[in-house]
Amino acid sequence: MVHEDFYKFQGADKYVLDEELAEIVNVSMALEMPLLLKGEPGTGKTMLAYAIAESLNMPLIVLNVKSSMKLVDALYQYDTLTRLNDSRFADSSRDVSNIEDYLKMGKIGQAFVSDVRVVLLIDEIDKADTDFQDDMLDVLDQMEFDIMEVDKTISAENRPVIIITSNAKKDLSDPFLGRCNFHHIAFPGEDVMHRIIGVHFPDLKKEITDACIRTFYGLRKLEGIEKKPATRELINWIRALKADPDFKLSLLEKGNVPYLGVLYKKSPDLKVASNAIGKNRQ
Amino acid sequence: MFVSFFYSLRDRGIPVTPTSFLRLQRALRLGVIRSLNNFYVVARSLLVKSERWFDIYDQVFAHHFEGVELPDLDEIELSEMAKLLLDEWLKNPEGVAAALGVNEEDLQKLTPEELEQYFLDRLKDQTEAHHGGSKWIGTGGTSPVGHSGVHPGGMRVGGVSQNKSATKVALDRRYRDYSQEGPLTQSQMGEALKKLRRMVPAGPLDVVNVDKTIYKTMKNAGEIEIIFDRRLADRLKVILMIDNGGWSMDPYIPLVQTLFDYSRNQFKDLKTYFFHNTIYDRVWADAARYRNSELLTDFTKKDPDTRIVIVGDASMAPYELMNEGGSIYFGERARNASMENLQFLSQTFRHCVWLNPTPRYEWSGTWTIDQIRRIFPMFELTLDGLDGAVSHLISRN
Repeated sequence: MVHEDFYKFQGADKYVLDEELAEIVNVSMALEMPLLLKGEPGTGKTMLAYAIAESLNMPLIVLNVKSSMKLVDALYQYDTLTRLNDSRFADSSRDVSNIEDYLKMGKIGQAFVSDVRVVLLIDEIDKADTDFQDDMLDVLDQMEFDIMEVDKTISAENRPVIIITSNAKKDLSDPFLGRCNFHHIAFPGEDVMHRIIGVHFPDLKKEITDACIRTFYGLRKLEGIEKKPATRELINWIRALKADPDFKLSLLEKGNVPYLGVLYKKSPDLKVASNAIGKNRQ
Repeated sequence: MFVSFFYSLRDRGIPVTPTSFLRLQRALRLGVIRSLNNFYVVARSLLVKSERWFDIYDQVFAHHFEGVELPDLDEIELSEMAKLLLDEWLKNPEGVAAALGVNEEDLQKLTPEELEQYFLDRLKDQTEAHHGGSKWIGTGGTSPVGHSGVHPGGMRVGGVSQNKSATKVALDRRYRDYSQEGPLTQSQMGEALKKLRRMVPAGPLDVVNVDKTIYKTMKNAGEIEIIFDRRLADRLKVILMIDNGGWSMDPYIPLVQTLFDYSRNQFKDLKTYFFHNTIYDRVWADAARYRNSELLTDFTKKDPDTRIVIVGDASMAPYELMNEGGSIYFGERARNASMENLQFLSQTFRHCVWLNPTPRYEWSGTWTIDQIRRIFPMFELTLDGLDGAVSHLISRN
C-alpha cells in the first residue's frame, strides 16, 4: 500500500528543500509518524511546515509551545468565567446549562476536529517540560483525547501531518524520540545558500550575492558569539542592503559591513563582531 | 531483513530500539524505499534519534553496505590501556630512579610542560616494550612521577593527596559515579537544600480560583467576585558543578555525595556537571569526566537566570588557575586561563555560588581560594554556609 500523499511533497515557492529532507517528510507522512526537526535557529525548521502546508494545499495549524503550557491548554479550554458571567447576567445566546457552549478547542483539538487533513506544527517543543512532551505524544499516538467536563472523547477525523521542532541541545526523552521520525537540519553550505538566496532574491546580481554570502560565512566563523547569524538573518540583511540607496559593493569588499545589527541580535555579539571587523580593516 | 545492520549499529553504541527497527520493516513493506540512498535517509530518520550519532551511523552504513573498514577505537583504547598499565605499575613500588636509570635531580628541574612530555615519552616506551618489565613509576619516593611524595611540582599517579598541589594527575578513577550511591547521613543538609526548592519566582495573579470565586459570588448574593491565585512559577533551573576528580577532594566526597543525592530530588530542572580542580574549556556531564563533555562557551545559550552552584575545595596549584593551558590533563590544552572561564561564568549567570567543603578558617592559607573568592561568593559546605548560599541565590539581584 502506498499512501496517496506519497511523493507529493517537492518543496514550495520560497523553500529550498534538500532531497534528504523531502524523503524524510514523505516517509513520515506514509508511516503516519510525527517528524521531529532539530537544528540551529534560523535554518528553516518552522518554515518547512509552512512549505509543506503550501505544497500539499492543506491548512496549517501552529501550536507555539510555551514553558508554562499545560497539555490541556493545547487540547481545549473550558471558559468558566464566561459561563459564570452568563449565569449572572443571562444576556448571551449561549445556553448556560450546556457546558459544551463554553468549550473551545485548542490547537491540537482544532487539528483533530478539522474537516480536512491539516498540517499541525508544534513549534519549539523543548520549551515545555518533559511531562508535557510525553503526554502530548500519547494524545498524538492515539489521535484522541477526553474532555473531562463533559466526558466526551474527541477523535481525529483526519490524521494531521505533524511537524515538531526543537532547538534544544539536549535530547528529548527516549519514549518521545521513539515515536518520532528524526531529522537534523544542518546549516546549509555555501552552494545551498546560493540557491536559497536565489529563490528569495531572483533579481539580485551575482557579484552582490557572492560578496554577501562570502561576508556572511566569514562572520559566522567569529568566535565568542552567542547567537550566530543564520539564514533568516542573512535574508533580512540582504533585504536591508537592497533598500539602502547608498550601498555599494566596493564597501563590502573593503571589509566594511553595514547593518551589523540585522545580523547580530544580542548586544555583546554585536560588540564582538564590530571589534573583529574593525581589526580587519586596519 | 538487515538484522545484522541493526546489531552493528547497536554494537557501535547507537541506542537503536527494536520498535524503530520494526518501523523500518514497515516502511520497507509499504514500498516507501526505492533505492539504497533512499534507504540510507529513511533508516537514519527512523533509527537514529540524535545528530550526535549521525557520524557513527555513516560509518556503520558504509561498512555494512559498501564494505568500508570500520576505524579502530585505537586512540581511546590506548589511553585507557595506558591508565591500566599505570595502575599495574603502582602495585610494584620499588627502586624508581634506579629502574629508570636517570638522574632524579635533572627531572626535578623540569617545568610541568616538560615533565608531561617526559612522562608521555616514557609511557610510549613502556607501551611498546612493556612485558611485565621495569617499574619506573612507584609511590612514596621523591621521583617526579610517583604519588604521595614531597616533590612540590611532582606528577601524581594516584593516592590521596597530602600537599594538594600535584601538577599532573595521570591516573583517573573513571568508574566512581558519585551520583548513584551513598547513604544519606546528614539530613540537615537536605533541609537546607529544600530552601532552594521554596525559591519560587512568584508568577502574576492570573489564575482564576473557581471554587473561591463561586464561594465569594454566593456570599455576595450572586454578585460576581472573581478570585485570582498566583500562577505557580517553579521554573527554577539549577546547574550543579562538582569537583569530583581530585584526590584533594577525596576526603570531602561523603559530604558532597550527601548534597548531591539530595539535590537530585529537590529541583525541577537540575543539570550536573563535573570538573577537576577548576573549570577549563569544558565540563563533563558524567561523573567519570570521560564521555559527555560540554564546551563552556556553549553555556551562553543557557538561561541566564539559571542558578549555578559550584562545589569544590578551590585548592590547586596557582598556575592551574592562572595560566593558559594550565589544565592538568594530557591533551587538554585550554584556550583561556581557568580564571577567565570562571569570570565568564559569573558574568553569564547572575546567580552563582561556590560551596567549599573545607572549613572557613583554612581558606586564608590557600592562595587560589582567595582568587576564586574574588569571583564567586564562597560558602562553607555546612548548614550555615548553605543557608547563606541559598539566600544569595534567592536574592533578586
